[in-house]
Amino acid sequence: MSNKPYKLSEGALGDRAFPHIMLAPTLIVLTVMTLYPLVFTFIYSFTDYNYLKQSASFIGFGNYITLFKNNYFRQAIFNTVKFTLLAVMFEMFFGLLVAVFVNSLKKGQKIMRTLLLLPYLLPAVTVALSFRMMLSPNYGITTQVLTTLGLPVYNWFHEIKTAFNTILLIDVWQNVPFVFLLLYASLQTVSSDQYEAASIDGANVLQQFWNVTVPNIKNSIALCTLLRTIDTFRLFEKVNILTGGGPANSTATITQFLYNYGIKNLKFGFGSAGAIVMTVLVLILSSFYIKKAIQ
Amino acid sequence: MKKFLAMILALAMIMTLAACGSQTASSAPQSSSSKETTAPAASSQASSSAPSSSEPQKLTLILRGGTYAEVIKAALPDFEAANNVKCEVLDLSFDDLHNKIALDATNEKGAYDLCMVDGSWMAEFTAHNVLANLSELGYKFDDDIIPNTTAICEVNGQIYLAPYFGNVTVMLYNKENVKNAGVDIGAVDSWEEIMTACKNAASQGKKGFLLRGDTPDNFVSDFLPLLLAFNGWVVDKDNKPTVNTPEFKEALNFYLDLIATGEAQSKDDIVAALDSGAATMAVGWPGWYVPADDKAASYIMIPPSAKKGGQKYATSEYGIWCVGITRNSQNKELAMKLLEYIMSPEVQLASIDNGGVPCRYSCLKNADVLAKMPHLQTVCDALENGVYRPVIEEWTEFTNILGAEMDNIINGVKTVDVGLADAQAQLEALMA
Repeated sequence: MSNKPYKLSEGALGDRAFPHIMLAPTLIVLTVMTLYPLVFTFIYSFTDYNYLKQSASFIGFGNYITLFKNNYFRQAIFNTVKFTLLAVMFEMFFGLLVAVFVNSLKKGQKIMRTLLLLPYLLPAVTVALSFRMMLSPNYGITTQVLTTLGLPVYNWFHEIKTAFNTILLIDVWQNVPFVFLLLYASLQTVSSDQYEAASIDGANVLQQFWNVTVPNIKNSIALCTLLRTIDTFRLFEKVNILTGGGPANSTATITQFLYNYGIKNLKFGFGSAGAIVMTVLVLILSSFYIKKAIQ
Repeated sequence: MKKFLAMILALAMIMTLAACGSQTASSAPQSSSSKETTAPAASSQASSSAPSSSEPQKLTLILRGGTYAEVIKAALPDFEAANNVKCEVLDLSFDDLHNKIALDATNEKGAYDLCMVDGSWMAEFTAHNVLANLSELGYKFDDDIIPNTTAICEVNGQIYLAPYFGNVTVMLYNKENVKNAGVDIGAVDSWEEIMTACKNAASQGKKGFLLRGDTPDNFVSDFLPLLLAFNGWVVDKDNKPTVNTPEFKEALNFYLDLIATGEAQSKDDIVAALDSGAATMAVGWPGWYVPADDKAASYIMIPPSAKKGGQKYATSEYGIWCVGITRNSQNKELAMKLLEYIMSPEVQLASIDNGGVPCRYSCLKNADVLAKMPHLQTVCDALENGVYRPVIEEWTEFTNILGAEMDNIINGVKTVDVGLADAQAQLEALMA
């Protein structure tokens, strides 16, 4: 009996065909789940498809022209990009801060990890409704605390100067744990030898963080930034429940706009054009990471 | 090759995640603001197959959440027991209800049997054959139903809807605040007096007039009663937009002064503020609040005139929740039986104890009922003289556009002149 190990790629399938056959199911699922809806969304975006009318005529770039002529859509793009940049920046900063802090703890890491993760486990709808109650100008606990302390009370969700930042704060609060978890896992893989070596070389805490921690977790930071960017770009539930895009369109995001002007009116052709624009914008914002991944 | 594959996979991942965003837009609100309940016995979905003697038939009801659905749910057990039926009830938010009914309308076999419909959707639903012809199913209005409430329920003499919940705008007020403001609420018949009450209350440290600031539709529907008092309307008899008229501007300028005494809040906050005395007045609906002698707030009819002693108009805006049967229902006869049951005087009378507001004289003028709930006389008067929002197919878009511009004006982003001119231009393009 031969002791030569059996190779999976040997035999009828051949070296070249085997990996492709193994990949085929995944590629088929990806094609059906991704390309099919994407292609149809793309095609619908050039029509005036109304779901209830069940009729669709080709109108060329009509939907796109209408979209970009619409002040509210332009405002929604601005709001979305501004919100995404601010939210991702704050989430990454606080997430990293908390991850480094918890990673440095000698005791209680497990319980801290569990407690810190709780906000992320809540559905966005629950978070929105909870904050709506807490920030109510009538019965909200925040209002009562601020009033007791003699601090100014705002109508948080209905004033232009506070609505956007309040939603931003809520979103950051909920999503910092996601960043924390990902970066914390990455920090666990950094060898303590490197810190010891840096310490022997006389590096202080900040230098260790910059020269040891960051290079070791930079890929996780990049991935985390990408995932948070994509997710934040799709912000919908909190805006829809808390402000509906107001006051005066100051919190309207692209998804909220599409819901109000496309989905709610069953104008799926128009909505599809907006979805395509949003996808392109996400691609642009994510292009840095994609470029890095390809390299 | 590796780079190419990596690029393809990265693009696929991005597109999948981004594409989920557009799906979120349509599906999220269903989970955000609606809840699905089964009352009182659970079942899965409507069935077209003939039931066996032991197996109950199934009906699916799609209703507006809140008091509107609760009163129907309370009436279901008796109907289920008497007819060997199990009813599944979906109670949804305003937008979700509209979308779910519309999305199911194109299916050959519908998922829903009995549906609740807002009057403002009637034109759209009729144009696209969403509802079953109730006349063909044998339904007739009786004389007991307040005639004006059926105005939008018929098309070409055929009935498609029945007015179930008599939602009509009323003026909510806090009793103590109004009294302290020196206004006799029983004698109020003009918006001028509302202004006086709210200004006086504001000078005493209370919030004056509150408005709903959640959606464009809120801005429009809360403003329409005032617009009617100024003899304005959003469309003319040919359904051409009329939002840039002197009447509209005068009404909106008055409204701006009025809401300067208070602020925008959500519906729940408005009710809480009026009940607690934090605020003084707001336009509301009977479904929001059930007044009683020992309660801090109550409501009156919307004042019919702009100025004291001025011309009086019908200013009560209907938000009546009608019931109908979907065209593609698989259980039309049984659904018809249920519709007749919940529309019957006896069931409607009983619904009052659960917060129901029937559109029937026999219920609203019932001596025993009025002894317990005198505010229903106000509702009855309002229902007799109510005005439906325009019956136009484009109403959802119409309110989006007008509401967005009103939002800009109210928040000082645009002037009245600029905002209304913009709204008029957009609405003309919509209705062209």
